[in-house]
Amino acid sequence: MTPPTRPIVEFHDVTVAYGRRPVVWNVDLVIDEPCLFGIIGPNGAGKSTLLKAALGLVPLVGGEVRFFGEPLGRVRSRVGYVPQRETVDWDFPVNVMDVVLMGTYGRLGWFRRPGDRERRLARECLDRVGLADVAGRQIGRLSGGQQQRVFLARALAQQADVYFLDEPMAGVDVRSQERIFHVLDDLKAAGRLVVVVHHDLRTAAEWFDRVALVDRRVVAAGRTIDTLTPENLQRTYAGHVDVLDELAQAIAARGRTP
Amino acid sequence: MTSAAGILSYNTVVVAVGVAAVGFAAGVVGSLCVLRKRALAGDAAAHATLVGVACAFLATGRRDLATLLAGALVAACAGLGMLVIVRRFTRTRDDAATALVIGVSFGLGITLVSGLPAWGYANSAGLEQFLLGHTAALTARDAWLLGAVAIVAVAAVAAILKEATLVAFDAAFAAATGWPVSGIDYAIVGLVALMVVAGLPAVGAVLVTALVVIPPVAARFWTDRVGTMVVLSGLIGLAAAAVGVAVSATRPGLATGPLVVIAAAAAFAFSFLCAPHRGWIARRAEAARGLTVRRGDSDGETGR
Repeated sequence: MTPPTRPIVEFHDVTVAYGRRPVVWNVDLVIDEPCLFGIIGPNGAGKSTLLKAALGLVPLVGGEVRFFGEPLGRVRSRVGYVPQRETVDWDFPVNVMDVVLMGTYGRLGWFRRPGDRERRLARECLDRVGLADVAGRQIGRLSGGQQQRVFLARALAQQADVYFLDEPMAGVDVRSQERIFHVLDDLKAAGRLVVVVHHDLRTAAEWFDRVALVDRRVVAAGRTIDTLTPENLQRTYAGHVDVLDELAQAIAARGRTP
Repeated sequence: MTSAAGILSYNTVVVAVGVAAVGFAAGVVGSLCVLRKRALAGDAAAHATLVGVACAFLATGRRDLATLLAGALVAACAGLGMLVIVRRFTRTRDDAATALVIGVSFGLGITLVSGLPAWGYANSAGLEQFLLGHTAALTARDAWLLGAVAIVAVAAVAAILKEATLVAFDAAFAAATGWPVSGIDYAIVGLVALMVVAGLPAVGAVLVTALVVIPPVAARFWTDRVGTMVVLSGLIGLAAAAVGVAVSATRPGLATGPLVVIAAAAAFAFSFLCAPHRGWIARRAEAARGLTVRRGDSDGETGR
């Protein structure tokens, strides 16, 4: 008898509200195999909120999120996180290595300080994002793209099985974007699930294996090629006239991808 | 130890060492407080202490330091609790809520402390010294108590420095990786309340926040590492406290608190002007050389 396969991540009827105002509601989403998964939608659609709900950073009004069939509290060390870059003070007195080491704190637990093993791991992670040579630099003296890669390296140091990234490509130069994308692709190849909140439709079609189109609820989800259809995009972006141009390009890009 | 001349009596030396230890611990704890951007909470706790001092005296009729400071600690925590309640239930913003708690609790404290003699509590004289700080009245026994509190606070910071730094830098990541962010926040603010109370006899309720806030801000100019900043901030606090005690001991008319704060402010001014890299002169010199701070490396990227 084969054991029942447990989805890596499942959202069941998730509703989140800030105060009395619901931000996302009745979200059902199941991701059952390692892939690059994009959460796509217009500004204010609740994409980041959905991510934070999965990580337990905002309280759920209803529903639940499970990882490997378990509640988050029991599998936290298997879940990695890259927050939006703007959420921290980059003038903070830490250097690049210090930040990456923070990824090891979860496994270290209370009071234990990172040692040689953690430093070796952190150096390895920095190498993977191409920042080994700035390990000793104060984090404010990095470009936006480098800062984003530091955050990615910190997540790598978590050695997780599922990664959540919140707008990792926002305000990031093309070189860094490519580097980040390659790292994510390697993670997928190593059997990890990578979930990315992303707002750029043009790149979405070429980067993600699967996507969910979100506008306060899930409009459509599935394989990218089946999901990014003109009809679905119209439904997701209805009322967002400003993105019509992007939309046209996305559809064109989709035509080019096999 | 006792000098016959009485210039440096055993008592004076022990008090100076005890208060200097408090200065060190205040600087160490203050680093966490400033990095977590909770400086105003320290101010709210400080201004609430007077009520506690007065109430502890009213309740016990005793004037020994341990009793009064225990009352001050309870009041400081109550002030912080009030801050949380005002913020959560009246939707008042952080700054306004802090100003409200400071004003109300301090007004109440002043009324109590200044009203006690008039209400027939003749032996309450001396409580008003907690307003501006006065080390001349401290005994060696008091100093040992303050020193013990300082050691406990420094040990606590040493124990949770890793966790506190993580929360101060990126609370969302800390929460996502399973750390109890509000618990660590309570620990930081609780330590601040403890140091505000320990600083009370020497620096006074009005100015004691300065002993928690100025040293870390000054220390930040010299280093880009949390660990170095914590130690440096402690040393600046120690020096400021020692200078304040020494000067007020030789000029009996001067309250200790303002002198401590002036000494700390001098350290800040010196750091702001002269620190390498982050100091004003260094930055002006760099600008004059036409070298804007280079962000990014050979990638040829430009910063935000």
